[in-house]
Amino acid sequence: MSGHQVPENLKYTKEHEWIQIDDDCAAIGITDYAQSSLGDIVFVELPEVGRVLKQGETFGVVESIKSVSDLYSPLAGEVIEVNTQLENSPELCNEAPYDHWMIKIKLPATKDHPKLSSLLNHQEYKDLCRE
Amino acid sequence: MEAKRTALYPEHLARGAKMVPFAGYEMPIQYDSLKEEALSVRRDCGVFDVGHMGEFLVRGPDATAFVDHLICNDFASPDVGRALYSPLLREDGTIIDDLIAYKMGAQRILICVNAANTQKDWEWMRSKQGPFNISLEDKSISFSLLALQGPRSSAVMEKMGLLSPEDPLPFFGVAEFKWRGEDVIVARTGYTGEDGFEIFSTDSSAKSLWENLLEEGVRPCGLGARDVLRIEAGLPLYGQDLRDDLTPYDSGIGWTVKMEKQSFIGQEALRNLSPQYRSLKLTLPKGIPRHGHEIFDESGHLVGRVSSGTMSVILGKGIAMAHVKRGTVESKKFLVKIRNKYYDAFVHKGSFVPRGAKK
Repeated sequence: MSGHQVPENLKYTKEHEWIQIDDDCAAIGITDYAQSSLGDIVFVELPEVGRVLKQGETFGVVESIKSVSDLYSPLAGEVIEVNTQLENSPELCNEAPYDHWMIKIKLPATKDHPKLSSLLNHQEYKDLCRE
Repeated sequence: MEAKRTALYPEHLARGAKMVPFAGYEMPIQYDSLKEEALSVRRDCGVFDVGHMGEFLVRGPDATAFVDHLICNDFASPDVGRALYSPLLREDGTIIDDLIAYKMGAQRILICVNAANTQKDWEWMRSKQGPFNISLEDKSISFSLLALQGPRSSAVMEKMGLLSPEDPLPFFGVAEFKWRGEDVIVARTGYTGEDGFEIFSTDSSAKSLWENLLEEGVRPCGLGARDVLRIEAGLPLYGQDLRDDLTPYDSGIGWTVKMEKQSFIGQEALRNLSPQYRSLKLTLPKGIPRHGHEIFDESGHLVGRVSSGTMSVILGKGIAMAHVKRGTVESKKFLVKIRNKYYDAFVHKGSFVPRGAKK
């Protein structure tokens, strides 16, 4: 399972999501490992802009032909943007998982959000995928 | 209990199949792409290892009469060399399993049943043997089964000497052939809606057949693709579309009940029965229906549930088979509830795909 891409500039979760933090905004998508385990992704359901997510809350669903998987918000925050392109072209999650974020959330004001420490760095995530 | 393995288990691992537990077996759910596997069967051909399925052999002077008594479809009429699909019913008309019975000879019948029900069916058949002059043999362990499915299947079978170009098997025909000196049983049956064949053999023949099929460019396909293909063809699955607590009339296979034939188990109950459900097929322009999703009419009344659902690979949209309560409004449109959202679902008549199988 070490053949999957894990870019160094991103953070990760045990649920196989990636997070790119840019000031107070976090873009969230699914990893190469996730898309390859799921197989052909045929449906993506994402939340409405404005929804306030708790850390760990389900914010959407990805479906392959035979499976349904929840998406968990790795951080708390308000949904400020949704990648609607994925609703019409869910296969983009397979083709280029790191080029297509699913949602962007605005993180609460505190800069050094303690919950950020719960995310994995690329090395930790690589190790997780290898287990 | 340790999971059982088919003779082809090492071949599946060697090809990188994702293995899952299924009916007490470790079976390949998919190789590299479920989608490509399903499309191969529709456009070319694919092979499935279905060695987990159960096989019984009924032999003796009363073999035909016994099977005809066990099942509600008419097994007395078909000639030797023909197969028949039927559910197996209890006295109260509910479904124990669905099966295919192959009339190999006047006194020799092969029955193929669902893997998960093999033990249950075996005990049932043994208990009904009573006055019939027959012998019953469980061949489930010793028989392997491969399903070659798709429009190129007959060409591949001819090339391998398992189908005679002068005397091809009709749809639901069955015959015996020799494969490298060993007996194999070939039937023009399947579970995909395409033309195709099922080959019963020993484990060693299954291995050489598998290798030979792959050399012919046939794609190995897993149970995931098989499930999508059978839903697209509108073929029911026991445990979902066919259930322990439902009769054939509730589940879209009322056509298999031949009330006018010799007496069979369940006949009296079915004569006086008012079925609870009818079976429907639905297509969804958006959303993917799954087993258990609730179905509502346009006034918001809960009327039924999805029995099987998937994203159709060939149609590119959600499709479902469903049980809807009888007595509810006849409508062309329903709503399927998927994670608290309601999606439009339109009634679809017939198979979701044009049947490629030869009649």
